[in-house]
Amino acid sequence: MPSVEYRGMNLVIPENDSEWREHFKLARQHHQLMLRKCAKCGLLRYPPSHGCPWCPSQEWTWQAVSGGGHIYSYEVVHHAIQPGFKDWTPYAVVLVELDEQRGKPTTDEALRIIGNLVTADFRPEPEANVAIGKRVKAVFNDLSNDFALPQFALTDEPPVGRAWRFPG
Amino acid sequence: MAGLKDRYCIVGVGETEYSRQSARSTRAMAVEAIRKAMDDAGLSGAQVDGMMSYQSGDSIVSNWVSGDLGMRLNFYMDVFGGGSSTEALVGLAIGAIEAGMCNTVALFRSMNGYSDFRIGGTGARAAQPVRGMDLAQVPFGMRSAGQNFAPTFMRHMYEYGTTSEQVAAVRVAHSKHASQNPKAFLKDRVTVADVVGSRWIVKPLHLLDCCLETDNATAIIVTSAERARDLRRKPISIMGVAGRVNKPRTDFHWAHGPISRVAGYYAKDIVFGQAGIAPDDVDITGSYDAFTFTTMLQLEEYGFCKKGEGGAYVSSGIIELGGKRPNNTSGGHLCEGYTHGMSMVIENVRQLRGTVDDYCPGAAEGKHSYDYATGRCRQVKDPRITMNLGWAMPPTGSALILHN
Repeated sequence: MPSVEYRGMNLVIPENDSEWREHFKLARQHHQLMLRKCAKCGLLRYPPSHGCPWCPSQEWTWQAVSGGGHIYSYEVVHHAIQPGFKDWTPYAVVLVELDEQRGKPTTDEALRIIGNLVTADFRPEPEANVAIGKRVKAVFNDLSNDFALPQFALTDEPPVGRAWRFPG
Repeated sequence: MAGLKDRYCIVGVGETEYSRQSARSTRAMAVEAIRKAMDDAGLSGAQVDGMMSYQSGDSIVSNWVSGDLGMRLNFYMDVFGGGSSTEALVGLAIGAIEAGMCNTVALFRSMNGYSDFRIGGTGARAAQPVRGMDLAQVPFGMRSAGQNFAPTFMRHMYEYGTTSEQVAAVRVAHSKHASQNPKAFLKDRVTVADVVGSRWIVKPLHLLDCCLETDNATAIIVTSAERARDLRRKPISIMGVAGRVNKPRTDFHWAHGPISRVAGYYAKDIVFGQAGIAPDDVDITGSYDAFTFTTMLQLEEYGFCKKGEGGAYVSSGIIELGGKRPNNTSGGHLCEGYTHGMSMVIENVRQLRGTVDDYCPGAAEGKHSYDYATGRCRQVKDPRITMNLGWAMPPTGSALILHN
């Protein structure tokens, strides 16, 4: 069964994984975030799913997005659960809100993705640099010929709203 | 449960010791907890004909446990689930009885949550291959419950100015309650300084913001009000129940904001509507305290205070014994032991009976001092209505309202 080893984890993507197989493969091929776009109502969605959350259609196309966004929320892991992350602590997990489709189709909705905030060499960004509101862009860590793991890196752009960092 | 208010009751409750070294199987613990609940109710094996449980591949199934208790079941079902399952199964038990499938249902949860399948995610859970929806989070070092919930907590702090010191008051209150509970795994009282001074797990969570991991089994028995009349204890009536109510998407709830909103936003109208009461009518809450923050978020979402004011509410003294509406008078998951929610329903049943097992010499006969100093009493004086707020994750929750 096709799988990728990463930080001590066995990431398994069987041939019949019709949600994720193409997602990571397209990321590897294009080094762009590719999301599913409903063929009927035109709305993008993440995670990749077969049914459109907003209309009855089960047809979609893959659509590249810019990969730009901002940190909507985050956490900093000090006590790693997975053995392969022990040497990464403290590391930030970020919830990134993408620039496309913010506040659509309802004001409470947006395209949001989980990743790590990483440096250019895919190491965890120092904790002091993480804040809600900071601008980021998607970067791609090639783990095999068929699999790239999308991550996020800081950009020089001004923050969205106020930049806020946990005071502790 | 339109038209079913007060027609079903909880008639028996029981649990094993809370430990970190049960040295026995989930089957053995389930049998002990259910037998205690049967004895509590005055029911024989022949009188219980339904059983349900919940688990995540870490426990034993109803149809094996039942034979050890002398039961022949007319109905059983074991569901996949963790937190918020207790309240949901109470509702399903009512449904099974109402449908004529059985008469009396025992519910249980049994886990070696520390010595075997650690609830916190280390060991066996962390070693599992990553596939399907797990690929959206686990490759980024986001696997445990704390790691899954922390961005919700962080965003609440950003949006509403909630502070670490405010939510630490939940741990302080529950530790106070645990100091009156002989069963509690942790009986020592802690201060706000202790909580915010404890080591980081995943910011914004300190160690003492997180619940325990323990080995234990818990059980409750549900039957009709008619059947309950002949039993040993004064039945505790079910006024309303909401089971595993969801936000619009739970496989990846981050897509639907505000992410600081939790499932109680939707569940409250169901459960309060059934019961015909408002938050102000509730005397005691049992709020799922996997973390200090989960209690704060739920109390706020169910309307015990305004949205965004949960931090001020939980640090006001209201949730402590002696306060207006104590929460988790047993010490809950933070201090008594971790049960995936059933222990907080058990506690509220005992509170409504007036026979909470504190250090008062006459506790079993309902004689209490109402002195909430360490090692004394944890019985609330004459409570009439209790409410349980069950949490699976930010977008999924349950609720249960009981009265005596």
